[in-house]
Amino acid sequence: MAQIFPKWTNRLPLYLGIATVVILIGVIFFFWYFGSPKYTDVGYRPKQPVPYSHKLHAGDLGIDCRYCHTNVEKSAVANVPPTQTCMNCHRLIKPKSEKLAPIRQSWQTGKPMQWKRVHLLPQYVYFDHSAHVTAGVGCESCHGNIAQMEVVEQKKPLSMGWCLSCHRHPEKNLRPLDQVTTMGYTPPKNQLEYAKRIMKERNINPPTDCSGCHR
Amino acid sequence: MSAEIEGTGKEYWRSLNALAETDEYKEMLHREFPEGASELSDEIPRRKFLTLMGASFAMAGLMSCRKPVQKIVPYVNQPVDIIPGKSKFYATTMPFQNSAYGVLVESHEGRPTKIEGNELHPSSLGKANYYMQAATLEMYDPDRSERPLHNGASIRYSEFMSAWRGLYARYLETKGEGLAVISESFSSPTRARLVDEFKKKFPRARWITYEPVSDENIYKGVAIATGRNYQPVYHYDQAKVVLALDADFVIQESENVANARGFTSGRKVSSEKDEMNRLYAVEGNHSLTGAMSDHRYRLQTRQVGAFTVALAKALKAQGLSISVADGAEVDLDQFDKHWINELAKDLMRHRSRGLVVAGRRQPPVVHALVYAINLALQNIGNTVSYRDLKDDYIPDQSDLPALVKDIDNQKVETLIMLGGNPVYDAPSDLGFDSALDNVDNTIHFGLYANETAMECEWHIPATHFLESWDDARAVDGTVSVVQPLIAPLYEGKSWPEMLDMLSSGRDRDAHDIVQETWKDIISNTNFTDNWRRVLHDGILKNSAMPQKSPRLNSGSVASYLRSHPVATDRGSGENLEIVFNPSPAVFDGRFANIGWLQELPDGMTKLTWDNAAVMSKKTADELGLKSETLIKLSYQGKTLELPVWILPGHADYSITINLGYGRTTAGRVGNGVGFNTYTLRTSAAPYFDLGLKVSESGDHYKLACTQDHWSLEGRPMVREATLDEYREEPNFAPETVEHGAEESLWKDYPYDKGYQWGMSIDLNVCTGCNACTIACQSENNIPVVGKEQVYLGREMHWIRIDRYFSGDVEDPVAVTQPMACQHCETAPCEEVCPVNATMHDSEGLNVQVYNRCIGTRYCSNNCPYKVRRFNFLNYTSPKTETEKMVQNPDVTVRGRGVMEKCTYCVQRIKKSEIRAKREDRKLHTDEVVSACQQTCPTDAIVFGDINDPNSRVSQVKKQNRNYRVLAELNTQTRTSYLAKLRNPNPALAETVSAS
Repeated sequence: MAQIFPKWTNRLPLYLGIATVVILIGVIFFFWYFGSPKYTDVGYRPKQPVPYSHKLHAGDLGIDCRYCHTNVEKSAVANVPPTQTCMNCHRLIKPKSEKLAPIRQSWQTGKPMQWKRVHLLPQYVYFDHSAHVTAGVGCESCHGNIAQMEVVEQKKPLSMGWCLSCHRHPEKNLRPLDQVTTMGYTPPKNQLEYAKRIMKERNINPPTDCSGCHR
Repeated sequence: MSAEIEGTGKEYWRSLNALAETDEYKEMLHREFPEGASELSDEIPRRKFLTLMGASFAMAGLMSCRKPVQKIVPYVNQPVDIIPGKSKFYATTMPFQNSAYGVLVESHEGRPTKIEGNELHPSSLGKANYYMQAATLEMYDPDRSERPLHNGASIRYSEFMSAWRGLYARYLETKGEGLAVISESFSSPTRARLVDEFKKKFPRARWITYEPVSDENIYKGVAIATGRNYQPVYHYDQAKVVLALDADFVIQESENVANARGFTSGRKVSSEKDEMNRLYAVEGNHSLTGAMSDHRYRLQTRQVGAFTVALAKALKAQGLSISVADGAEVDLDQFDKHWINELAKDLMRHRSRGLVVAGRRQPPVVHALVYAINLALQNIGNTVSYRDLKDDYIPDQSDLPALVKDIDNQKVETLIMLGGNPVYDAPSDLGFDSALDNVDNTIHFGLYANETAMECEWHIPATHFLESWDDARAVDGTVSVVQPLIAPLYEGKSWPEMLDMLSSGRDRDAHDIVQETWKDIISNTNFTDNWRRVLHDGILKNSAMPQKSPRLNSGSVASYLRSHPVATDRGSGENLEIVFNPSPAVFDGRFANIGWLQELPDGMTKLTWDNAAVMSKKTADELGLKSETLIKLSYQGKTLELPVWILPGHADYSITINLGYGRTTAGRVGNGVGFNTYTLRTSAAPYFDLGLKVSESGDHYKLACTQDHWSLEGRPMVREATLDEYREEPNFAPETVEHGAEESLWKDYPYDKGYQWGMSIDLNVCTGCNACTIACQSENNIPVVGKEQVYLGREMHWIRIDRYFSGDVEDPVAVTQPMACQHCETAPCEEVCPVNATMHDSEGLNVQVYNRCIGTRYCSNNCPYKVRRFNFLNYTSPKTETEKMVQNPDVTVRGRGVMEKCTYCVQRIKKSEIRAKREDRKLHTDEVVSACQQTCPTDAIVFGDINDPNSRVSQVKKQNRNYRVLAELNTQTRTSYLAKLRNPNPALAETVSAS
């Protein structure tokens, strides 16, 4: 009587075992990679009602971040500028521009602009801009080099692990306070030494407790 | 179950069930939550929780799959002084009857969210009671009246204006013949000026002031004694001996914040060498003032008058020159003569440093006698003084019956009701409701389209005080401005606008009207600067009126006492006493639609969402009644069904019923809550009377009472001693429970660096007033869950006030103890959380991470203090935009399935820490203030850095009364308590029933 199963089926359990492991690893990798904020969020670049160019304003023209984001040193939110701030210049500069029509409309009707939020943290995270900026963390550290972005996009994952990596070792990201808004900042050679000194002097001890950010 | 504390032999119990160790109670004790609490019952009648106040982020459901698109909406033209993300504080004033509370309101981008007291204001002194705190919820209440109504249909304001102008022109000619106004009482320069104008234009119109519950009897009594109306101003801080005659002055009487603050300032003890004042309470209902007292004398409310006469006689026998009570005949044998004599001796010993106060419920004659007693004891001018009334409109009970008579005689054709709700709360014998049908034009003005508005032709919505310009005069005469925090949410008119419209027919802005008044009050030369200073401070400084000590007309008191003798009869089993009490929660019913207040457990009965027939155990036993049995009350030919509630320490043969419930058009929260007891109230006996009969109807009625919830297995939580015992044994509190060394199995984390947060609660000055509970609810977005949920033990308050009885069941001594998360350094909850959702931070906070919590409730099981609260349902689900606006944006709104508890106001800690970092400095000592500490009228709660030896909390914790609850479990709590002390009169020591 012939064998019902060919000889290779003797190895079937082995193959199945290997396949299960590979598939499992694959599934884990799939979620680990494609489910992480690094994949889902980095590169998020929504179309805004006005094609405002940070590259032109902050880069080429060299306007300081704080001209528009006035409260970044005082408040938890850096604030998106009111229509009035746009109109400070655009009453005279390009007053007829088609692209600026929504701004002029907002100014005339009193209806606020509706910008799409790019950097969105979960509701249970209480991030404070002022705490970071006054400690000497550059805008660039979290937002990337805005001065080179035609359209603003999310450059960093803004995940809890990413936050904690800096809260545990902030040395790389500390700058002198007058360099906070500089884009394309090159840290000095003795950055680590500088950071250690400044952390001691200014009592910079970023919290790693839950209560640091969640309330 | 009760706990006997070694050495003292005292037993503590929270309820009669606990004392008797009934099966029901044991069941409650051994289940973490009461039966049914952990089942999701969707058949909850009316799903009331859905309509309650609160907010959640609509995004929550979307978050799971894709990142939502969120819009950033900046200002078009940003106001200069607004920094988005930073709250600002403004001073304003909350008018309340003919007084006012100065408040500071926190505003987030123009949205008021939290109310605190204004330190400069004499009635709030920087502290806030729960009525003040609940004002934000009231303002955002979606059930407030939104539009003017004509016969119930929405109209435009202009339609009413044209109708009024027609009437106005007609009444100008007739000088107001046939025009009548019923107004709430108030004390306000602007309102008084406008009413004067109104009266000038319409001299024949009638203006009456009506309040269902007021201090009218006090004014009348003082007027009998002195010949004029005066406003009493109490200085409890000056008093060494206080006698409260049916006066719950720390909670229910007017000026309770200032009273409690003053009174407890004489009770603060930092070591065994300090002195304490002494409080005697004579009362029928067991009030929180009674719980605070050193000696409590239980009498029927109607006996208090006779007691006052007996006291006057006893004082005279001691040699005091007081003769007003000589002519009064009372049966002195009904009282404990020894008690009265010793009380009289104590008052005599502390002449000019004593204070006798009577409650607003007592008739004028009692207040006149009290005036005479205080004057004879030289207390007037020292512990109590008087000022002239100015800009005050105080009610008169006789006005409303007279008006109804006029209406019945067709003498009134237009009736204007400014605030109030007489259809609901007028004495039932008047038939006010049906009288309204005989009036041609009826106009109602108020915050809500309430029962009265429904019966009126016109209704004009009033603006909330947080939306209005107005002004007010405080108890000592200090004037303050009411300034708006937000533009009116609805089409309301403010009081000055309404009064101006009535007196001039014009439609003007309240800002101009108020400024017009103030041009006479503050110097005109620099008006704008002065005005701004007043707005900034919240009051006009140094505007308190001179305080006087008016002379006594003893003849008039004696003759009034002859014509209006004090009650000499008493209630008995056949002929019970009925006592009407304004609800401590919803007052006269005006706050019925405020969920926070409805759900606030009553200080003594711990009932929520209901009123009941409160009686003593003896009375209930004799009548064969049990708590929660429905009974039929028959009084003056009227009947009302009400559930029974037994309150140990209540006077026998007396039943106290709370007013303010059973509203029918209060709104979605307040409709149908409790029973309308106004139906039994008559104009002849508005506060207490005899002639009540009860019969059992046999039905059972569920009352949502929180007193057995979160029970602690009868462990010794409260510790108390008399002042003498304390002097003998200064360390009694920490030494009450002997236990072994506090050693841990784990390696202890060294909490010795940086800020280390801790709290101390002084039980000796805690009045159990519940202000902290509401402050916490307002600050931390704590939801209201509804009666059915409270019944299931699902109330969410982070701070509960435990109330323990000790001693005789009929006449016990009561203690209150605020209990919130103790922030154990070695927290039992943290050991059992399977997902690390409850953790410790390096500053000693026991933190709850909402987004990690999966709702196993193991932590709550393992918490020995029973302070964790679980969101069984999605309690915070707003229906309207305004409901979202009341939430504090600095605190996460929790969803279903999440555990929560006191955080020591971590948002306030972090806010201060970040501010300090920004300014490159360390936190100042005592810079961080928790919400409960901020509002505590007696400063019982102290919070701060225990690592800073100069902080108040470090200092307080060094006192020898300091003890930690359940220290024997080695929980290393950060919250500790200072033991309670009582200061009994040594001569009366044997009658202190508890010891």
